Amino acid sequence: MARIHVEGWAPDHGASTVVDVALADPEKVDEEVEVAGEWAPIDGADDGVEEVAFVDGVRRVDARLTLDEEDGPVPGLCGSYAVGAVRWDRRLRRSRFDAVSVGRLAVFGSGRIAEVPTAGRRLVYRSESIPDTDPAALLRRFHGAMRTAEATLAEGLSRDGVFVVADGPLNDFSATEKVGYVKSHRVPYLSVERRRVVARLGPGQRTPLFLIGAGGDYPRYSWYLRLAAIPGGHGWSGVARAEVASALSLETARRIADRVTAILPAVASEPHLDARAPQNLVPIGALERELRRRLGDPGVVYRALREATMERTR
Amino acid sequence: MTGRGVGRVLGTQHTNTREFRVVLDEDDYLQLDDLVVVATEVPKEGTVRTYGVVTEVEAVYEGAQYESDTHRIAAEGILPGAKVRSARVAVTRVEPEVWVSVDPGELVARAEGAEREKALYVDEMERPLPVGLGRDGAPVYVDLDFFDGRKGGHMSISGISGVATKTSFALFFLRLLTARGDVVGEAAANLRVLVFNVKGEDLLWLDEPNARFDEEAALAWEKLGVAPTPFPSVSFWAPPRPRSGDVVVPDTGGRLEGVEAFSWTPREFVDEGLLRFLFTDASDARNQLSFVSERVQVQLRRFARDVAGRPGAIVLRDPATEPDGGPVTPHVGERVVVDLAGLIGAIEEFLDPPDGDPDPRWSGRTQVGTISAFLRRLHAAEARLGHLVRAGPSRRIDRRAAQVTVVAIQGLHDLAQRFVVGALLAETFAEKERSGRRLPLTVVVLDELNKYAPREGTSPLKEMLVDIAQRGRSLGVLLVGAQQTASRVAPEVVENAAIRVSGRLDAAEAERAEYGWMLPSTRARARLLKPGTMVLSQPSLPVPLVLEFPFPPWATRKEEVAPGADEDPFEGL
Repeated sequence: MARIHVEGWAPDHGASTVVDVALADPEKVDEEVEVAGEWAPIDGADDGVEEVAFVDGVRRVDARLTLDEEDGPVPGLCGSYAVGAVRWDRRLRRSRFDAVSVGRLAVFGSGRIAEVPTAGRRLVYRSESIPDTDPAALLRRFHGAMRTAEATLAEGLSRDGVFVVADGPLNDFSATEKVGYVKSHRVPYLSVERRRVVARLGPGQRTPLFLIGAGGDYPRYSWYLRLAAIPGGHGWSGVARAEVASALSLETARRIADRVTAILPAVASEPHLDARAPQNLVPIGALERELRRRLGDPGVVYRALREATMERTR
Repeated sequence: MTGRGVGRVLGTQHTNTREFRVVLDEDDYLQLDDLVVVATEVPKEGTVRTYGVVTEVEAVYEGAQYESDTHRIAAEGILPGAKVRSARVAVTRVEPEVWVSVDPGELVARAEGAEREKALYVDEMERPLPVGLGRDGAPVYVDLDFFDGRKGGHMSISGISGVATKTSFALFFLRLLTARGDVVGEAAANLRVLVFNVKGEDLLWLDEPNARFDEEAALAWEKLGVAPTPFPSVSFWAPPRPRSGDVVVPDTGGRLEGVEAFSWTPREFVDEGLLRFLFTDASDARNQLSFVSERVQVQLRRFARDVAGRPGAIVLRDPATEPDGGPVTPHVGERVVVDLAGLIGAIEEFLDPPDGDPDPRWSGRTQVGTISAFLRRLHAAEARLGHLVRAGPSRRIDRRAAQVTVVAIQGLHDLAQRFVVGALLAETFAEKERSGRRLPLTVVVLDELNKYAPREGTSPLKEMLVDIAQRGRSLGVLLVGAQQTASRVAPEVVENAAIRVSGRLDAAEAERAEYGWMLPSTRARARLLKPGTMVLSQPSLPVPLVLEFPFPPWATRKEEVAPGADEDPFEGL
């Protein structure tokens, strides 16, 4: 009889392990790229990398828009997103925010487009259009804009030689040293027997690498790692998944996997301070707060938008 | 804006007309007591300048949500956080007087030069007298109009003892007052100072240079515009040594030369009504002793006759039988009063004659018990201050002999101290009352004011001091009173002091209502003030200022006296 566990994450955030078999990618998973035989936990190894940049983005829908066309209303939305990085200097033991930028985007459906009136000096939205009319599709486009900005920033930093840990799955699969960091587990990548090793991981240990999507558009090496031993936790609590582009050599991927596995437990959050502990890393939590702040006060933005559109119709 | 920018007005909290906060630039700082200025654009009014003084300085990690985040930011470095330093500013002035709050985000600059003077209202003071240096090393001023009686008068100095700041500051202030005639103006002419030395012999060296005076102190004095020299014109007075017979020697320990002995003759004692100052204990007023004292005083005046050939001595004769007022030759066996003991003996003959009833003209309807208590008190006083009354040539303290008159009463019993203070204050006040003019000014410096004008009870001396506090301002008698605890001094005396100064205070004392003129932050700091640092409040400035005053160029102990030319070359031989 399996035991029942209460998830450590606050209910609003979902659970860290919502395994949705329906999401299971038809992508082929190669579990034998690093270890062909029986799997055992692998210790991480800190190679003393001097700087780590954590990259993340946040978004907020500022207002739902409607374009009053003669043939009927056209749905739209406008929102703000911010991306940025926390650069952690491990030698100086200091962290700082870097490259924070804010984007504001209006998306309209049905292939229509309109200019959002400028509301205040800083509140300028660029407009885009999608053929769809589904509100979810509008949101996807908006979300995609943020993800692109994140990927661009991560790629730029890693090209400058900074080791990047980006929140969320990888978006750019070029051969640079950047890691996608996935907090929750929605897709069962591993076969049932290999999955068992995850529960045996100690903090600072990882599974062997496995290759996802070989031959497809998004090939990457991935592994599970345990950030912390959660008192009263289940086999998967305190476990995160990370991925690197398989355009890197297997050797490099292993080195990065060892490094990330050894370093990340140091920046894992504490359950009493963070509702998504330990997976929500301390620098990323701080970055999200800072980015949200940079979006501006939602009430102020909303009222400014209303005022600007009212003036135009008057 | 003339000063350097140091930061900007904080925007996350409301500013108001009393206080605002400044977020400091990363490469600059503000410390307590710094003066700042902010220019605010006010619609329809134009630029309004707000001046203020820093009352508190704070720092925090921005981005730290939990206390343990401090470790994450400072030690592990995994959490980005920025140190933010800010300063709290109490508004001292708004110019022009448009009472608006400063705008958030406005540039805050140090107030320097003319801006500093504005912040401190120096531009509005007719006679700004420097009374110390601010933390920035520039002079801090007091508006003399509020000391010398034009708009206000008196100074009250508080502070715990042992830190030697109260008397030091009082003297420092006097030195500036007497040296800066250019500022003091007409009030400087014939200014007289009466100082009581109540502890040690600290004040008996005011005319001697201090050997420990150094360059740094000299620099500070230069900023105050005064040449660092001892007091140029001082006379020292001490009571005569008791039981020294006919030889009158001043009763001081370390210093004899230049110190004059003082005493009153029986004639002076009677004429000036000094009897009342023998009953200065707070309990005396309760048991009718003052009533007897007043009656006896009146009769003494009526009965006293000078004795031919004995200056200062008196005999008591009934004016009804001998109305002529000239000097008399004593009858054989008649009691000639040459000292206090003799006077008390003569009073006793009227109040408690060995062979009969008290003379009703002297005793009134007082009960016998009260009369005995009165006489007991007189005898006790004789033992304690009998040596202060003696016939002979007048040895009154001559307050005209020098600009500063130091009266050494530290060796006297409490009762005798109160007697001397009472007698001298009465004399000074009576003199000014007669002239009816404010000028020339007389400044009286009195430490341990709580002994002379205690909060509880009543006594002739306390009434005298309250009178001076209330009316002295218009009569040009200015009290520089010092006390450990203002809460133990008669409120009328403390409240009438326009200028209030405080050194280090006892923590519990600082919380009392008597120090309501301090800001909460100043009160908290009053426990930590170093010697030489004072908090000053004056009516022309809405906030108290913290100032430092330099080391004195005059000696405060015998050991400090700089070896000079008048040193005895044969000393020790």
